[in-house]
Amino acid sequence: MRAMFHDWPGLALKSFYWLFVLYLFLPLSLMVAVSFKDASFISFPLGNLTIDWYAKVIQDKQFLDACLYTIMIAAATTAIATVIGVWIAMLIGSLRGAAQYVAFAVACLPAVVPGMISAISLRIFITTIDLPTGTVAIILGHVVHAVPFVVVMVLTRLRSMPGNLVDAARDLGADSIVTFFRVTLPYLGPAIFGGMIFCLLLSSDDFVRTFFLGGYRPTLPMLIFARVQSGMSPEINVMATLVLVVTAVVGLYAEYLTRRSRIR
Amino acid sequence: MQPVVQFENIRKSFGSFVAVDNLNLNIERGKFVTLLGPSGCGKSTTLRMLGGFETPTEGRILLSGRDVTMVPPNRRNVNIVFQDYALFPHMSVAKNIAFGLELKGVDNRQIQRRVSELLELVQLQDFAGRLPSELSGGQRQRVALMRALAPDPDVLLLDEPLSALDAKLRQTMQIELKAIQEQTGKTFMFVTHDQEEALTMSDTIVVMNNGRIEQMGDPATLYKRPGSAFVATFLGETNLLHSDVVGTDAGEAAVRWNGMTIRASAGALSPKAGDAIYVVLRPEAIQCSAQEPGVANRVKGRIRQRVFKGNHTSLKVEIGEGHLLNALVHPSEVEGLSRDDIWVGWSSEATTLIPARNAA
Ligand SMILES: Nc1ncnc2c1ncn2[C@@H]1O[C@H](COP(=O)(O)OP(=O)(O)OP(=O)(O)O)[C@@H](O)[C@H]1O
Ligand SMILES: [Mg+2]
Repeated sequence: MRAMFHDWPGLALKSFYWLFVLYLFLPLSLMVAVSFKDASFISFPLGNLTIDWYAKVIQDKQFLDACLYTIMIAAATTAIATVIGVWIAMLIGSLRGAAQYVAFAVACLPAVVPGMISAISLRIFITTIDLPTGTVAIILGHVVHAVPFVVVMVLTRLRSMPGNLVDAARDLGADSIVTFFRVTLPYLGPAIFGGMIFCLLLSSDDFVRTFFLGGYRPTLPMLIFARVQSGMSPEINVMATLVLVVTAVVGLYAEYLTRRSRIR
Repeated sequence: MQPVVQFENIRKSFGSFVAVDNLNLNIERGKFVTLLGPSGCGKSTTLRMLGGFETPTEGRILLSGRDVTMVPPNRRNVNIVFQDYALFPHMSVAKNIAFGLELKGVDNRQIQRRVSELLELVQLQDFAGRLPSELSGGQRQRVALMRALAPDPDVLLLDEPLSALDAKLRQTMQIELKAIQEQTGKTFMFVTHDQEEALTMSDTIVVMNNGRIEQMGDPATLYKRPGSAFVATFLGETNLLHSDVVGTDAGEAAVRWNGMTIRASAGALSPKAGDAIYVVLRPEAIQCSAQEPGVANRVKGRIRQRVFKGNHTSLKVEIGEGHLLNALVHPSEVEGLSRDDIWVGWSSEATTLIPARNAA
């Protein structure tokens, strides 16, 4: 016991860690707890628990439609951003010297431009080219934002690829296209998969770009935002809890898969 | 018979640096040919030019009589075994070996037959379904070898394929590689900087230095009759005695070294009195004894260092003032010899002469 107090820097470090964990989980736990509350307003103590709010939410047409719409946009974003991202990563990987750094910096730019700025500029852009706000515009905005993440993840993996794998494939009779599809792409697999999960999460979570580029049909973040504006209720907690659970499951599953493929 | 590979006046430069120069080399079908030389002498570059991964700056490369100088790697009938194997990590052993066959359009039944045949050749039948990461170093080595052999190349190129293995396994693999080469009758072109590897496996050794061929020949000839000081010192251990010719008679030369006169067979050389010359004296050609030996060359010396190595003893013997000769003798030969007073001797045929101007 005494020895523990002598190690006060270690103790401080541990305490701060647990304080941080508390700070991280307390609001989330409150949110989840309230979603089971047996009353239509948020207050403490919780009193009786119920799953009525859940039943209500999953019968809510607007909510289900928003989910569907979000998933659709996320899927399209992911498909497009992955193809473009892998393409750009391969291009950057084949460049040498200064050109490589410049291309990389340009490819990463959309990830560091503030969301608001990028949203406004895209809005101005689609107005200029007479593209209506709505699905296409949203996907366009999300893709621009997601591509850099795919590029970085794929490029990292590409750089760890032994150079002579490609040589070996060429040597055994593969032209560059066959080499790409049969050797390079499978090698990049885990990184591409990781990048896709990232795209899904980025897109389904995006609010600012969707807000500026969207039409009348709301995505999930927009729906929740609209509901919050007309007053907090446990229903919102339910939606948020569902999003939290799905996101956590997808994230953990992705982590599990990449870890397994890394071991192999 | 037409050589399977012909390098004609090949030169390769990277910018102003000349990596390979004036390379002329014919390789006969079915031979085990080794490119041997120190690091950076251009061995890999030569091999990569044949594989199609580098384009010669000048000259032509013919493969089975066809000019392939500008043909891309996927359209020449040669295969490489890479130093770190370069097995496809996401494919099973069988898939790796089948890769080249599939691209050649061989039908499935035949591919399966060939793959199991090759796996059997290296006793890896039970490993067909494994991934490369689930194999030992030696097993990966064998799979890489079989993958390269599978499409039946005109020449198999091996770039230091054994250097990643530990010493014991390396020796086993040397023997195995040679056996596989003999069994399949394939032409092997092997690159190494390890002279022992070259001596063990090769039909022909091509010694390279500074991007040029220094000498080529079968291992025994190269070892016994090195044409330059570089070859003499690079291939095996040697005593290189810098001497002056004092006279010749009947195919023998008398040379002066360290105050003593050495009689040495002149071989193909015709040295003249006054020429500077190297005498190549292999350590195992030296005999040591307490009594004066009955050979052409003998001198008294002192043992400066004696290292027991099991089946032989390695000695450093000082002759005169500060001249050391390395000798390898049978342990029983030096038992009970006094350290400070022994005779060393060698016959006149045991040495080779090299003109000193060749000493690079
Ligand atoms: N792509 C390149 N660009 C510039 N120089 C190169 C290139 N490839 C090889 N060289 C140079 O050419 C020379 C010969 O290289 P090479 O790889 O053929 O040597 P090596 O004999 O195989 O040596 P090692 O035993 O170390 O593998 C080296 O000095 C090397 O630095
Ligand atoms: Mg090399």
